[in-house]
Amino acid sequence: MISVLSTTPISPVSPITNVLPLSLVLLVSLVKEAFEDWKRFQNDTSINSTPIDVLQGQRWESIPWKKLQVGDLVRVKQDGFFPADLLFLASTNPDGVCYIETANLDGETNLKIRKALERTWDYLAPEKAAEFKGEIQCEQPNNSLYTFTGNLIMEKQTLPLSPNQLLLRGCSLRNTEYIVGAVIFTGHETKVMMNSMNVPSKRSTLERKLDKLILALFGCLFSMCLIGAIGSGVFINRKYYYLGFFGDVEPQFNPDNRFVVAILTMFTLITLYSTIIPISLYVSIEMIKFIQSTQFINKDLNMYHAESNTPALARTSNLNEELGQVEYIFSDKTGTLTRNLMEFFKCSIGGEIYGTGITEIERGRAERSGLKVDEGKSPTTAVHEKGFNFDDPRLMHGAWKNERDPEICKEFFRCLALCHTVLPEGDESPEKIMYQAASPDEAALVTAAKNLGFFFYRRTPTTVMIRESHVEKMGKIQEVAYEILNVLEFNSTRKRQSVVCRYPNGRLVLYCKGADTVIYERLGDGNHDMKRLTREHLEQFGSAGLRTLCLAYRELNTELYEKWNEKFIQAKSSLRDREKKLDEVAELIEKDLVLIGCTAIEDKLQEGVPACIETLSRAGIKIWVLTGDKIETAINIAYACNLINNDMKQFIISSETNAIREAEDRGDTVEIARVIRHSVKQDLNRCLEEAQQYLRTISGTKLALIIDGKCLMYALDPNLRANLLNLSLNCSSVVCCRVSPLQKAQVTSLVKKGARKITLSIGDGANDVSMIQAAHVGVGISGLEGMQAVMASDFAIAQFRFLTDLLLVHGRWSYLRLCKVITYFFYKNLTFTLTQFWFTFQTGFSGQRFYDDWFQSLYNVIFTALPVIIVGLFDKDVSASLSKKYPELYREGIRNMFFKWRVVAVWAFFSVYQSLIFYYFTTAASQAGHNSSGKIFGLWDVSTMAFTCVVVTVNLRLLMACNSVTRWHHLSIWGSILAWFVFIFIYSGIMTPYDRQENLFFVIYVLMSTFYFYLALLLIPVAALLGDFLYQGFQRWFYPYDYEIVQEIHKNDPEDSSRIELLEVANHLTPDEARSYAISQLPREKSKHTGFAFDSPGYESFFASQQGVFAPQKAWDVARRASMRSQQRKPRT
Amino acid sequence: MMNNSGASAAGSSSGSGEGSAPRRNFKRPKYSRFTQQELPACKPILTPQWVISVVEIVDRYDSACIPRNMAKDKVAYIQNAAINKTCNRTLKVLKNMDQPIYVYYQLDNFYQNHRRYVKSRNDAQLRSADEASETSGCDPERTTAGGAPIVPCGLIAWSLFNDTYSFKRGNENVMVNKKGISWKSDRDHKFGKDVYPKNFQNGALIGGAKLDPNKSLSEQEDLIVWMRTAALPTFRKLYGKIEVNLKANDTITVTLENNYNTYSFNGKKKLVLSTTSWLGGKNDFLGIAYLTVGGLCFFLATAFTVVYLVKPRKLGDPSYLSWNRSPLGY
Repeated sequence: MISVLSTTPISPVSPITNVLPLSLVLLVSLVKEAFEDWKRFQNDTSINSTPIDVLQGQRWESIPWKKLQVGDLVRVKQDGFFPADLLFLASTNPDGVCYIETANLDGETNLKIRKALERTWDYLAPEKAAEFKGEIQCEQPNNSLYTFTGNLIMEKQTLPLSPNQLLLRGCSLRNTEYIVGAVIFTGHETKVMMNSMNVPSKRSTLERKLDKLILALFGCLFSMCLIGAIGSGVFINRKYYYLGFFGDVEPQFNPDNRFVVAILTMFTLITLYSTIIPISLYVSIEMIKFIQSTQFINKDLNMYHAESNTPALARTSNLNEELGQVEYIFSDKTGTLTRNLMEFFKCSIGGEIYGTGITEIERGRAERSGLKVDEGKSPTTAVHEKGFNFDDPRLMHGAWKNERDPEICKEFFRCLALCHTVLPEGDESPEKIMYQAASPDEAALVTAAKNLGFFFYRRTPTTVMIRESHVEKMGKIQEVAYEILNVLEFNSTRKRQSVVCRYPNGRLVLYCKGADTVIYERLGDGNHDMKRLTREHLEQFGSAGLRTLCLAYRELNTELYEKWNEKFIQAKSSLRDREKKLDEVAELIEKDLVLIGCTAIEDKLQEGVPACIETLSRAGIKIWVLTGDKIETAINIAYACNLINNDMKQFIISSETNAIREAEDRGDTVEIARVIRHSVKQDLNRCLEEAQQYLRTISGTKLALIIDGKCLMYALDPNLRANLLNLSLNCSSVVCCRVSPLQKAQVTSLVKKGARKITLSIGDGANDVSMIQAAHVGVGISGLEGMQAVMASDFAIAQFRFLTDLLLVHGRWSYLRLCKVITYFFYKNLTFTLTQFWFTFQTGFSGQRFYDDWFQSLYNVIFTALPVIIVGLFDKDVSASLSKKYPELYREGIRNMFFKWRVVAVWAFFSVYQSLIFYYFTTAASQAGHNSSGKIFGLWDVSTMAFTCVVVTVNLRLLMACNSVTRWHHLSIWGSILAWFVFIFIYSGIMTPYDRQENLFFVIYVLMSTFYFYLALLLIPVAALLGDFLYQGFQRWFYPYDYEIVQEIHKNDPEDSSRIELLEVANHLTPDEARSYAISQLPREKSKHTGFAFDSPGYESFFASQQGVFAPQKAWDVARRASMRSQQRKPRT
Repeated sequence: MMNNSGASAAGSSSGSGEGSAPRRNFKRPKYSRFTQQELPACKPILTPQWVISVVEIVDRYDSACIPRNMAKDKVAYIQNAAINKTCNRTLKVLKNMDQPIYVYYQLDNFYQNHRRYVKSRNDAQLRSADEASETSGCDPERTTAGGAPIVPCGLIAWSLFNDTYSFKRGNENVMVNKKGISWKSDRDHKFGKDVYPKNFQNGALIGGAKLDPNKSLSEQEDLIVWMRTAALPTFRKLYGKIEVNLKANDTITVTLENNYNTYSFNGKKKLVLSTTSWLGGKNDFLGIAYLTVGGLCFFLATAFTVVYLVKPRKLGDPSYLSWNRSPLGY
């Protein structure tokens, strides 16, 4: 708009100079966008023109993807990608199966089986395929990757279609020579494309606040213009005859119509003061953030995970500074806090516990209660592979045959080996086989079965091959093929999985495994002792932080099965509510089960999680764990992670109370809802009261809230929401268990919207996607469970502990830097514009420009552009290791200390002060002659002088604001000042033939021929910066920021260039350190900060240096003394 | 806890530095600026003598040169071409003034920096004779009523100052040298040697001085000086040089033609005689500013020293860390 205004005659500046910087700024962003678009376009065309074989007549013909149409029959060869969503008709594999890899869709690298309908198996050769005639009825295109319902009508026969026959675009074919398929959805209607839409774009809070600042600047601009406009209306007068008010005077200066004069001058002034709006700010910020994320975050060696070869990845550069202000972290448990490395750890078979290991949680608990745990190293003979960390001589190597009930052991192992959806891959030998499983639990169970002598090695669509050893006789190996008749798949409502299989001898068995609650409901009568024992074991495992599954089986007779199977097939081919019907049918057969036992899988904690959480909580960040796990598991993980300890007052709101259970037994849903709502409300109110009491009376008691999903559902009700929020914000840690993905998102947005705090969600699985998208910052763990979380996230890291680096180092620095950049931009543009504003008062409010057009336009683009970017990249207050050593520094970001209105006001105050100095000093000093020749300066001499001072001062001011000065800083700052001089030397040295005013001709040479120039150049920046200097000194002396104190403490430290080593040391504590660390965690004192001993070395050396004594300060010295101190202190406490 | 941090501090000895290259190179900032507070005070301060060695005589004559009977209507007086506007002023030299003594006129409330005024000129026309008809931007003084281009065009030239001064010491005439009063770059490059005034001040309204049509613009130094527009509404312009020494107690008689109309807009007119030093004319401002800033620095340095003694703060005292100041860390 300003550029448009500048082309009109009322503009005080020539249009080109106003348009130029704007177009430069636009150009930069255009080039960036264009580059990205061009890459995307290339990508698109290359994909679109990939050839694909389509049936034409009776031959396969190759056409590009983009010409593909719905209904075409296509042939996809091995390792090829599916060009569209296909209906799988036939494959070269026997039994009409094919293997696909879905890595592009969900990141899971395991192969999945798809099976064609038997009726279509033959349409493989082109001649045969050409005969294929059929009609496909299916649902509308949607974005659900895992559901599909439809029917294939062939020769008046209706065949049901399921996701099993669907080959999705983006997947690729593996282990199959080629397949034939019919195109169902193409282009944007494919499921993967439907999924890729509406990714919410996030903007950082800082940027949103920046918008407010810009708005304020617009307000400022407007009021400045208003003042000027009113002034011009008042000023204009015929008495100034030398202004030529005779004849036709253009309306802007016509004294007869003062109102029009004011209006037009308003517009003039808007163009004149437009420099107050930092147009290049957004581009600069974008550039800074881009480099920060691509160069610093992505390439940080501290966040590189060597084992998985994963560096950190900033998927967006918008949110770097948001990382510096996070106050709430919502963390998933599985895969995030824990390793998602499932190891078969213990089991209970027929009421007997097997397995000798001790979990870390148990160890931690024992240590907390003061017991020494005997570190009984497990015997080295134990088989140890991924997924199997089990040792018990009673079971291993066929020893189970000597147990009390070997039959039930056999059932147990068969159940493990048969009831699953795992795919074996690779060599069919126990050592080399790889199990591809949807969840690592399954793989762990199958691996366990393998190690216990039931080796599952091959799967065909109808059979599972097991190599059984030690069954009949020691050492004997026997290969058994079990026919799998039905698979009743796992889903979250069923919480169980069953297979019906037929033994080679015709025995029909249903094996079932699932959550204890659902299995116990379906057990047959009898054997109460074992049920009771197993339940006790389940609780024991649960409290040890282990994940449990119950195993059960049921003998079936053929009659019963056939009857059921009919119903099953019927349900399977129904079009509507197929899932629901299948579930109902499954209910019919999954009853009267016989309990075999239960398994316990250890979910290992990620490396360094407790330390990381401790650090983050010292940084003032509150961590909430949102998990789908049971309340006991969740609490235990929270204990193991230091989130909860015995000092804390815990509030537990659980649906597992007697009242609720009774209501549930009665089974009336309305009644249940009423009861739960009532009890949740009561609980909330009670907890809130207690919490407030605690906060009022004893300061220092930390509170923790544990709530389960069912209660949360009611607590999130609009009526109770405020209470919940109030309570949870008072708690230092919150654990939500049994929550659904949607609830995770709801909790996140409750805090985000309700408390207006900055939130970060971290998770690794598809169930965390909604939470990741709901939070201000989403962090994905690039780990085992697929890529969906990463695809939805803003940052991806390999390990939870890297959050320390991401937040405390990168986030904090980014925040500091951007605050500095923004406030500085604000300052430099305001200062510059204000000098112009003061000048307006002395030109009769005519809108005469003080500076030359080119000065004005190049000010932002060249003379002051680079240094601030350099500061945005390289400024740091304290080093990375100190940032992590003093996590409390992070609180400055949470409190937004560096971009408060107060800070902006201080900058604004000094820019007013400085602009006054610039303007009045230069003009007042220019009144008389300036060298012995007595000649006088004109307007342009004075303005060039003032501009020189502005450029020099503004650049020096930046140097003052830096916390660290690298040679880049020097280069850019002195370079910018030099650039100005070079520019003015050239600019005022030439005379162009164009029609323009040669105002600036020779000005700088005239100026430099006088001493006045040098004296003023020395005086004015000093005088201008004196104010800031004073303020900074004063502020530092009396109200120092935390980081300034830390700088002072460590001023004598040798430069740390070895952050990597530091990290290693910090992460791998020796057993001794670990123990003392654990001891220091024991409940003993209210305040956490008594342990600090940093004070002494710092000021000893200070006084030494005051007395002129040189006190060598070495980091290891400090460390040694500090550790000695803390050791001395321990016995006393 | 201490072990942890101690260990991390202890590892900082080796310097492999695989981190991103530029970060390594930063130098630790000076921890305190208090010693530097004194730095500005060390800068050279102008001693008063340097400034005072410049002698200046200022004489305001705008109202004094109006006959008493016309004092009520100054504008009518100045616009009446029939009245002889010669006026005599007597100046007393208080101190010895060594030549060259510069003669300035000083105008007040004259907005040479008004936008309409500043742009009302055409540099191309001033520079070369070929561009005589180039009068864009010169409104409203572009052409004569007949349409012929005015050279030099524009309001600035049109309103050229036209008071003149001549000086006498006793009965002896003191010559005023009007050569070399403009900047050389203006004379040589901005005002053409072959450009002669044409159609200048021929209109109904006469804004100011007329120019000798036989002298090229680059020789019309009054015009060149006038056209280097001033930055502020109060400004001085060089009129000429007196190249004899004036002694203390000399009496100078100035005969001036009070032609220029500043009465319309209540502007003052002053005549200034001034000597110069290496720093130029009398300019108290810079000296005072230096003294003030220097003094301020000195004062602040003292104040900070006092503060330092009265209310010392241990550098790097952890008790100042915000989380140590209050138990909850807030």
